[in-house]
Amino acid sequence: MNQYHLRKSFSALLATAAFGAGLGLSVAAAADLTVARAVDADSLDPDKTSTTQSLQMTNLIFDTLLTMDKDGSLHPGIASAWSVSDDGKTYSFTIRDGVKCHDGSLFDGAAAKARVDRAIDPATVNPDRSLWGPITSTSVDGNVLKVSLSEPYSPFLSFLTGIQAGFVCPSAFATADFKPIGTGPFKFVSWTRNDSLKLAANADYQNFNPMIENPGKPHIDTLTFKVIPEAVARMAALRSGEVDIVEPSLEETADLKSDSNFKVYAADLSGQQVLAAFSWKIKPLDNPEIRKAIGMAMNRDAYANIAFEGLVTTSSCPVAPRLFATDEALCASWGEKYDPEAAKAIMEKAGYTADKPLKIKLLAHKLSGWDQMHQIMQQDLAAINVQAEIETREVAAHFDHMSSENKRTDGEPFVWTMGMSGVDPDYLNFLWKQPGFVNMGLNEQVDTMVDAQRTLMGDARAAKIHDIEKYLLENAYTVPLLSPGWNWLMASNAKVDGFKLGFMVSLLFNDVTLKQ
Amino acid sequence: MLFLISRRVLVAFATVIVVIILSGLLIHVVPGDPVTAMMAQSVSATPEAMAEMRTRLGLDLPVWQQVLLYLSRVLHGDLGTTIRGNESVLRLLMQRVPNTFALAVSGLGLALAIGIPLGFLAAVNRGRLADTAVMFIAVLGVSIPAFWLGLIMIQVFALKLDWLPVAGSSWRNIILPALTLGLTYCALVARMTRSALVDVLEEDYIRTARAKGLRGHEVLLVHALRPALISIVTVVGLVFAYLLGGQVIIENVFSWNGIGRLAVQAMLERDYPMIQGFIVVFAVSVVIVSMLIDILYNFLDPRMRQK
Repeated sequence: MNQYHLRKSFSALLATAAFGAGLGLSVAAAADLTVARAVDADSLDPDKTSTTQSLQMTNLIFDTLLTMDKDGSLHPGIASAWSVSDDGKTYSFTIRDGVKCHDGSLFDGAAAKARVDRAIDPATVNPDRSLWGPITSTSVDGNVLKVSLSEPYSPFLSFLTGIQAGFVCPSAFATADFKPIGTGPFKFVSWTRNDSLKLAANADYQNFNPMIENPGKPHIDTLTFKVIPEAVARMAALRSGEVDIVEPSLEETADLKSDSNFKVYAADLSGQQVLAAFSWKIKPLDNPEIRKAIGMAMNRDAYANIAFEGLVTTSSCPVAPRLFATDEALCASWGEKYDPEAAKAIMEKAGYTADKPLKIKLLAHKLSGWDQMHQIMQQDLAAINVQAEIETREVAAHFDHMSSENKRTDGEPFVWTMGMSGVDPDYLNFLWKQPGFVNMGLNEQVDTMVDAQRTLMGDARAAKIHDIEKYLLENAYTVPLLSPGWNWLMASNAKVDGFKLGFMVSLLFNDVTLKQ
Repeated sequence: MLFLISRRVLVAFATVIVVIILSGLLIHVVPGDPVTAMMAQSVSATPEAMAEMRTRLGLDLPVWQQVLLYLSRVLHGDLGTTIRGNESVLRLLMQRVPNTFALAVSGLGLALAIGIPLGFLAAVNRGRLADTAVMFIAVLGVSIPAFWLGLIMIQVFALKLDWLPVAGSSWRNIILPALTLGLTYCALVARMTRSALVDVLEEDYIRTARAKGLRGHEVLLVHALRPALISIVTVVGLVFAYLLGGQVIIENVFSWNGIGRLAVQAMLERDYPMIQGFIVVFAVSVVIVSMLIDILYNFLDPRMRQK
């Protein structure tokens, strides 16, 4: 009897195993371009997410109103023309005729209005709401969309070229259940979270992005993104030919670069900037001289060449290279130059010697390259009698920690690092205007300057941005380190031709062809 | 028997309620704020917008109110929606439960298929070469980290031999992770089987059976196996319950889309509803499995029924 039960249980176990395995199955993929990434998108709704990994995906499905060339100049997108009123408070966009959504519906002025209205509606709870600017109303006249602002907001046009400003078709949000329907180069096919996202080329696609050569439908037919979290497994998938493009591990990128079977792509246009900042409210880092000494001790060339394998460059501005008004030479003249001897002299004068060093924390988030950078930085600081204890956290925990740390006015001083990205220097406003991102805001003088740049255009705006950068650097509130700095690398097998990385690490597959 | 089962079900239900309350509470002890986490990576919202989002997500309510609300919703079958993506937590978890279940069952199946015969072999040949060899393999199995074994499997079977894929969701993808799990846990099963059998083989009734002139395999299979199974079942049950919580490392190495990976992702993103949902689903599976083990004991060991 009992043996019978046991046999029965065992057969049940086998049956369950077979059943369970069956449920885990799905049909194998057809021939396509396959890309492996470490992390999946968290949403395909550009109004519900602010992570680069998600926006890289939405940017393939949704087009933007305007586009930006490598030099930062603005070009048409879904909008064929645009104009700004003299007071800088009204923008008009002429929506192109015949732009079709993936479901066949027409994308016209009314659709563009509905999209902007949704982005700014408080009920949407859009994490990027502030980037849309102080929009008060929208209206549509024929194919012309008019956007009215309460005050001038000069970053508006650059924002409309960026991956956060994907133009979603109204049919996407007609029901409570969001459907990824846009006008972009790829149509949504299916998505299994944390596993794979399948897209298919949009046969009706018309390209207006000057960084893309192909005027119409992408050359590849289907595009599949697989999530392979483990770097070693991701690289194995690339080497075995299971995937065509991967986010490589930093450690293996140097090998791939010297191997003719692979190609490495670095996002020069990432808009990414790696910065160090200080607990400037806490003694002795309230003294700009001490902050300057720390900046002078930082050997940025070593961070770029050793920690980041020479795949990034040092940067001197508080805003990433190639963005509007960024002038590396000008910033270099305001900021600290690497001079450990002079830095040590400043520290000794302030009473910090090898026997009595200044004890600080070095607060950072975990990322490959960054960990090594912080170790070198720790040695750099030790050389000028600053004893730094490194504390690393996961990215979300780091910023959470920083928002309470930056409020402190006493206790142990700290130096911390972070990365920032965008398509416009307006992120100075986001970071430094009080209270500022994770409470890193500075003072009223900075608040006034970062607000003022938003109301200016052209050279006047560039001059104001330079004023802000000069102030930040001369007072040593920040030490610009490197650009770019995180998930900015891609690698492919040699079959892949024409893959590009655009602004903010957008992935451009329109020109990709697969050599046999 | 019926009384016993209903008592177990009641205890299980009470345990689940306690776990739901604890998961609701624990989440507030862990450092980290979901709204900051959402905004962490790029140019994002103003502090006002963050405060507004906090209100919308109910994070400004007193903790006890949040916990009670959560308890009542879970008991109505609603695990809430994720902070990121606004999707049903239950649906996301249920999409992955079959994958985790398939991996747990196949991994454990392999561990049993390899571990029990090895344990038998070692117990019967106690002190001899076969025993030493099996125990050596067992020590090796326990000491080799699963992620390392997994990566070696990928190097050998996917990269060098090109027999199996590295990542994906087809049936061929389960082979490598299941094999890795099987090899990792077979060591534990073999050790357990050996020690259980060694104990049983020293019992008086085994000596009696032998004295009656029963043949070796009859003694083993008829008289020794069933009592030995009791401790094997305990271990298997515990391992199975553990595996149902998702093999985070194995799932990551082989990109297997199970609930373990979902949970880790949610933890990194501070997605409270998702983490709570995972804890509830994990707790329910552990409770169900241990309940089934208790019931299985009664079939295996008549003495338990009398108790």
